[in-house]
Amino acid sequence: MDARRFNLRRWFVTGFLLLLVAAAYGIGYRETEINPVKLITSLGKSQAILNDLLHPDLFTHQTHDTTLDIVFPVPCGSAQPTQLPDNQAHIFANVACANPGDTVSVSGTGMQPDTDVKIQWLLPNGNALFSKLARTDAHGNFTAQVQVRPINTTTGGIPSHLQALTAVPFGGLLPSQALKDVINNIIVTVFIALLATTAGTIIAAPISFLAARNIMGHSRLGTSIYVIVRSILNITRSYDSLVLATVFALWVGFGAFAGVLALTVITMASLGKLFSEAVESIDPGPLEAVSATGARPIQVVVFSVVPQIIPDFISYIIYHWDINVRISTILGFVGGGGIGFYLSQRINVLEYQKAGTAIWAIVLVVWAMDFFSAEVRKRYT
Amino acid sequence: MLQIEHLTKVYPNGTVALKDVTFTVQDGEFLVIIGLSGSGKSTLLRCINRLIEPTEGRVLWDGANITRASPAELRQLRRHVGMVFQQFNVVKRSSVMTNVLSGRLGYVNSFSSVLGLWSKSDRERALKALERVGIADKADNRADALSGGQQQRVGIARTLMQEPKLILADEPVASLDPVLSHSILRYLEQLNKEGITVLCSLHFLDLVHRYATRVIALKEGVKVFEGLPKEIDRAKFKEIYGEEAQEVRATTVEEG
Ligand SMILES: Nc1ncnc2c1ncn2[C@@H]1O[C@H](COP(=O)(O)OP(=O)(O)O)[C@@H](O)[C@H]1O
Ligand SMILES: [Mg+2]
Repeated sequence: MDARRFNLRRWFVTGFLLLLVAAAYGIGYRETEINPVKLITSLGKSQAILNDLLHPDLFTHQTHDTTLDIVFPVPCGSAQPTQLPDNQAHIFANVACANPGDTVSVSGTGMQPDTDVKIQWLLPNGNALFSKLARTDAHGNFTAQVQVRPINTTTGGIPSHLQALTAVPFGGLLPSQALKDVINNIIVTVFIALLATTAGTIIAAPISFLAARNIMGHSRLGTSIYVIVRSILNITRSYDSLVLATVFALWVGFGAFAGVLALTVITMASLGKLFSEAVESIDPGPLEAVSATGARPIQVVVFSVVPQIIPDFISYIIYHWDINVRISTILGFVGGGGIGFYLSQRINVLEYQKAGTAIWAIVLVVWAMDFFSAEVRKRYT
Repeated sequence: MLQIEHLTKVYPNGTVALKDVTFTVQDGEFLVIIGLSGSGKSTLLRCINRLIEPTEGRVLWDGANITRASPAELRQLRRHVGMVFQQFNVVKRSSVMTNVLSGRLGYVNSFSSVLGLWSKSDRERALKALERVGIADKADNRADALSGGQQQRVGIARTLMQEPKLILADEPVASLDPVLSHSILRYLEQLNKEGITVLCSLHFLDLVHRYATRVIALKEGVKVFEGLPKEIDRAKFKEIYGEEAQEVRATTVEEG
């Protein structure tokens, strides 16, 4: 009788809990706007971007650049059009001038055959406004329809120009500007990780002894220091590196220094904890033996504790180095400098091929550092 | 002369490991402490050099009160008290040489020793100590490459570096087979003959008879016997080790 009532209650409680869990997932599903269909329907829209990301901007050819230029007043009568030369390469329009919104036919002749031509407006203020791409035929001629944009107006007597630009590649491949920028930034990123790991280790190593019970637990003063240091480490560890990087970016300004600071603090706290656990797990026997010889505390630590913890320390440092390389690549998104900053900038201005270069570089560097640390680990632990 | 007076140790968890233990050790004695496992032998030896702080009582050594010594005074006293352990307690990842040199730490400048800078005379002293225990050829090996018996010899060489006047040996041969036990105890015996006082806890009665000049027995932290080895007859033995001691003794005698 009693057993049955107990069973019933258990069923009831279990059912209620299941209901709660189901509700949590239901709300979660709605709040996170889960929509698997989007994975398919959005594919078309994002295909161009994905394509860019998969075709990183790596190399460029050296080019012979030529610019052909005519004065083209908009609206008509606002300035004198160019007199056309007729022997050398030049471009011309079917009309000498036009009003905003008109479509004019622009042609070129005597140019490099089978070459891309970039047609642009040179505005009175000196800025270029891209209009259209065309291509010359086998004889070096092209014709393209160009719409006159309302802003291409003459100001202060200075007219707009129509320009046709060609860039004919020659010679070998050169690293593109994007590749150079990415390499510079990835080096910054690796150095952020390196400096933070080094500084974090240097701070954490001595602190870890203060946070080890078997070293500090012998006196009342020691125990208080142990408790205080432990608490500081635990509190510091509870902050995320991205949050800290944001804080430091506001404090010392955007850039690699903020990233180094944030990562150093995280590394210090995390290694401090791991190190202190390594110190706590040592064999107390040698410590006893060296203490018994009349050695001073510092000698005891160096002769009986340090040799025992070195393998653990090395493997924890390598472990954290791996973590730091990964984190430092994205720290830039919150102002930490390095490749993450470059990547976020390229995405903001929709330069996806350059973003692709950065992403591939991150993948490569993370992979290389993993390989490197695996080798170190094999050799030293 | 070492005087242990009314020594009591109560561990923080309430275990009374030593209860009002009093005895005196004359210079040059080879005093063996016997007793069941858990009877307080290790605690007693560690209270003497204060690896464990006694709860009550005091330890006087040539008149100096070890129990009241300041940290600096304690280090001075410890320099002359060697200790040998059941588990050898060598630093496994360090070289044999470094392990032996660490016995000299109380005598040298802490800054240079921490940097691993040792004087030529200390290195020579370490090599001599290793020669004495017959493993000079192992000086550059890592300690964990050595067998148990060899590691214990490293432990003895380490105490030799201290120029000890007293050696505390806590079951130095309990982890070794009988043949090795004798070789290790003979080193202690030799040192004892050279004038070093030895306090040694032992498990096997035949070893007690062979090496001890005097014996103390502990039972549940209380001193239940103090006398010459030959005074421990079958009845006394049963009193110290309890009724089930027959088996213990049989195996120990056979093995010894
Ligand atoms: N650190 C400690 N904390 C609490 N109790 C201990 C501690 N060390 C030893 N003891 C207890 O004290 C008693 C004596 O131990 P010990 O001196 O190691 O005896 P023995 O060396 O004769 O085996 C045992 O009951 C043991 O369980
Ligand atoms: Mg013991």
